[in-house]
Amino acid sequence: MDDKPKPDGIVLTEAQQKSRRRRSIAIALALGVLVVLFFAVTIVKGPAVLNRPL
Amino acid sequence: MSVVDHNAIELSPRISEADVADYIALLKPRVMSLVIFTALVGLMIAPVHVHPVLAFTAILCIAVGAGASGALNMALEGDIDALMTRTANRPIPRGRVTREEALAFGMTLAFFAVMTLGILVNWIAGGLLAFTIFFYVVIYTMALKRWTAQNIVIGGAAGALPPVVAWAAATGSLSVEPWLLFLIIFFWTPPHFWALALFRSDDYARAGVPMLPVVAGPDATRLQILLYSIVLVAVAAAPWPLGYFDAVYGVTSLVLGAGMLALAVNVYRRREGVEALRATRRLFAFSIFYLFALFATLLLEVVVRALAPTVW
Repeated sequence: MDDKPKPDGIVLTEAQQKSRRRRSIAIALALGVLVVLFFAVTIVKGPAVLNRPL
Repeated sequence: MSVVDHNAIELSPRISEADVADYIALLKPRVMSLVIFTALVGLMIAPVHVHPVLAFTAILCIAVGAGASGALNMALEGDIDALMTRTANRPIPRGRVTREEALAFGMTLAFFAVMTLGILVNWIAGGLLAFTIFFYVVIYTMALKRWTAQNIVIGGAAGALPPVVAWAAATGSLSVEPWLLFLIIFFWTPPHFWALALFRSDDYARAGVPMLPVVAGPDATRLQILLYSIVLVAVAAAPWPLGYFDAVYGVTSLVLGAGMLALAVNVYRRREGVEALRATRRLFAFSIFYLFALFATLLLEVVVRALAPTVW
């Protein structure tokens, strides 16, 4: 007998799970690039990064 | 008693199977590559030293902004794309991505591209990028494309702005040189797209897009192509006698311009059968090379000048 509880709600197919995982990785990479970019520009600009007219 | 009858709502949410490749296709990578290239030239010819990190940031933001415009354009033109052979394989007509998903994707990218460029580089560039996206999506896609045969003439301004944005990113201001690049792309757009529209006019007619060959006929389009090509060659050569770009650029622009004009005359003269089709395709292909070679010359001059300042 199968003891596994039946999942409630919508169950994703394998293809849906895989594509969602790939999309999630792409979003994570894009956010990573954004963080690195902001960090790098902060280093490049140095104290001048704070020097902006309001 | 509940106001909403929950039993009446069909619970069948659409689960996306869209892959990363579908979202990349929404960015129109080929258009994006031309935008990156022209923006790079705008940035490189600027008479200031730009830190490589800031230059990379500017080009990345401009590229993402262009991609966002492409995604928003596809979101708004899914119905047209489905009717045209050239665009029927795009993610929305194929059912891989919904219109709403493409809209959300495009808006998110546009927001991040503009904000990042504004915050990290400068707000003149950020504002110009926002205006470019607005012009392409709202003025061109939503207003002009389905309304007038002048759609790509006016809308061409959006495609011509990237080098101006890049120059603004580099210098924090605007001057004549980036607007010269703007004018070259602006006058290049009509002959390029009308050549495409000539051999795709059935597609455009089926989709109800009022491109010039559909509205005014192929002969009127051929004349317009020739006239715009003459203006293009003059505009592209003008920076040399005006003293903005040097003789190497000037001579290159004249040689390339002669080729462009010869092909435009050929399109004007050959109006029937396979010869006409071949002439149009040849002009379309050459127009891409023309713009690339013209901008590559400017880029090459900057590189040579940087590597061997005494030679130049």
